Amino acid sequence: MSRTDIDARKLEALFPSADEAGRRCIIRALDVKKVYRMGATETHALRGATLDIREGEYLSIMGPSGSGKSTLFNMIGGLGKPTSGKVYIDQVDIAQLDANELAWLRCRKIGYVFQTYNLIQVMTCLENVMLPMSFAGLGNEEARDKGMYILKLVGLAHRPLHRPAELSGGQQQRCALARALANSPEIVLADEPTANLDLHTGEEMIELLATLRDELGVTIISATHDLKMLKRSDRILWIEDGRIVRMAKPGEVDFNSGEFH
Amino acid sequence: MSASPIRRQVTLPLSVAWQVVLQGIRIRLGRSLVTLMGVLLGIAFLMSILTGQSIRQGVRRETEARAECRRMIGFLTAETGPLRDRAVGVIQAGAISDIERRLAAALLDEGASEVRWAAVAGAAMPAGLPAGRVRAAEPRAAAEGAAALLLVGEGASPDLRWGELVAGTRQRVLAVARATPAPEAGADATVLSLAREPHPDELAEQRSEARRTRFRTAWIIAISLLVTVIGISNAMLMSVTERFREIGTMKCLGALSAFVRQMFFIEACLLGVVGAAAGCVVGAAFAAAAFSLSYGMDLVVSAMSPWTLLAHGALCVAAGVGLSIVAAIYPASFASRMVPATALRSTI
Repeated sequence: MSRTDIDARKLEALFPSADEAGRRCIIRALDVKKVYRMGATETHALRGATLDIREGEYLSIMGPSGSGKSTLFNMIGGLGKPTSGKVYIDQVDIAQLDANELAWLRCRKIGYVFQTYNLIQVMTCLENVMLPMSFAGLGNEEARDKGMYILKLVGLAHRPLHRPAELSGGQQQRCALARALANSPEIVLADEPTANLDLHTGEEMIELLATLRDELGVTIISATHDLKMLKRSDRILWIEDGRIVRMAKPGEVDFNSGEFH
Repeated sequence: MSASPIRRQVTLPLSVAWQVVLQGIRIRLGRSLVTLMGVLLGIAFLMSILTGQSIRQGVRRETEARAECRRMIGFLTAETGPLRDRAVGVIQAGAISDIERRLAAALLDEGASEVRWAAVAGAAMPAGLPAGRVRAAEPRAAAEGAAALLLVGEGASPDLRWGELVAGTRQRVLAVARATPAPEAGADATVLSLAREPHPDELAEQRSEARRTRFRTAWIIAISLLVTVIGISNAMLMSVTERFREIGTMKCLGALSAFVRQMFFIEACLLGVVGAAAGCVVGAAFAAAAFSLSYGMDLVVSAMSPWTLLAHGALCVAAGVGLSIVAAIYPASFASRMVPATALRSTI
């Protein structure tokens, strides 16, 4: 494959935009490299990652710390631009987008869930959920109705006026998920969403994500080490030293040793 | 690729920015108070300098006027003898100065029984003269039996029968408060010029002293405002670093850089207005109290003009808002340049 000049036809031939099941390709990374420069030293965070993510897929990304996991995560989440290679989100090369277009993309196409919830502490639960809608230009009334609907969806309709500090960890993460779903995104990007939750609430969160995927057809991409989360996902991607070393289905992974078959 | 389905994000929800800022100030009250104190102290200093300056000027004007009055009365009584239980005639031509207005009161304080005031040549008797003991009169009635006749006002000497008028007074004294040529009052009349022209050297010395003071004050104000700006800027930078993840998260949710800047400028404006208003009150009160200690309360109160105070207050509030906006430029642009991926880092 040519690494310098990739045109649309070649691309279509190499990666058909829909798979056998008719699922559209929603994120495509082609030979993505990322180099961070700190003065004279160069850090190769990604050394050429190629990846295809289908609509409605539940993908887990695994990898030791420093493996380039977060960098890959940022790239396919529209949070950073690759040094070389291409990232297409919904057929659009994100390197071509300016700041306002990226903001639009982050606002409507992608919902982010963070390890540390990252709710805006000064706002109530409902206001947090309404915030992305305000950025999308939705009116206050409409945003409130939709916000309440989504809170009901994640099982938090009974505490809309509480501030994050007054909620438990599980409730905060539910609120964060509701916020991620505010503008009906096609992709939910979750960065270790269960890492700060106890076993039980973590399981609830995983179930909730799976339900959303099944019912709303949202594509879920999560960086995780949570075995229960890995078991629930469609595909598991193992990244090491800036390269994707394995792509496997949960059945192919021995969860006791953490090794791929 | 096919036609891009991506559009540009344009929304800058002002009401959301207000909401975030107001709740942020309330919840992070300690941090906001630090910024607020920066504005408050800087503006209090500016206000105290301005108020102090106007009080000093007012006090100087007041004491000079009082001294000038005393000198004029002294000059007059040297010729007429004590004014006890005598009347004094005043002919007013044209508008009168502050010192001439004070003269009427000073004459009464000196023991004069009454002041007979004759406004001639179209002049109107000024308001604010001691009521009851200053009586309007015709020129002849004003002069008749008075200890002396006093000519005040900026107009030219009116065309009166000065000889006859002065002849009606007891000691035949005509005193002229201005440095205008005295009217012809007859051979046996004593004509006094009460006005005193300051020596040119004296004036030059006063002017250069005023220039030096202005320069010194401007220098002090400039330095203090610079320190204020740096202080506010520093406090705001701290609050930016505290909010790193919050800002990154907002960017992940679709906030534009302009929205982040907007938030910081709204906060700067709010803290600027409140801090500057409080600083004005504190500064003015401090200056008034400090000068009252050295000059006495009544002199300071009579030297302070509410309009000047108000003008200085408005200037200070404007300066406070301006300063905090200037101070917010760097923190706001620093915050708005933050990459959204910051939100993912868990250890900040």
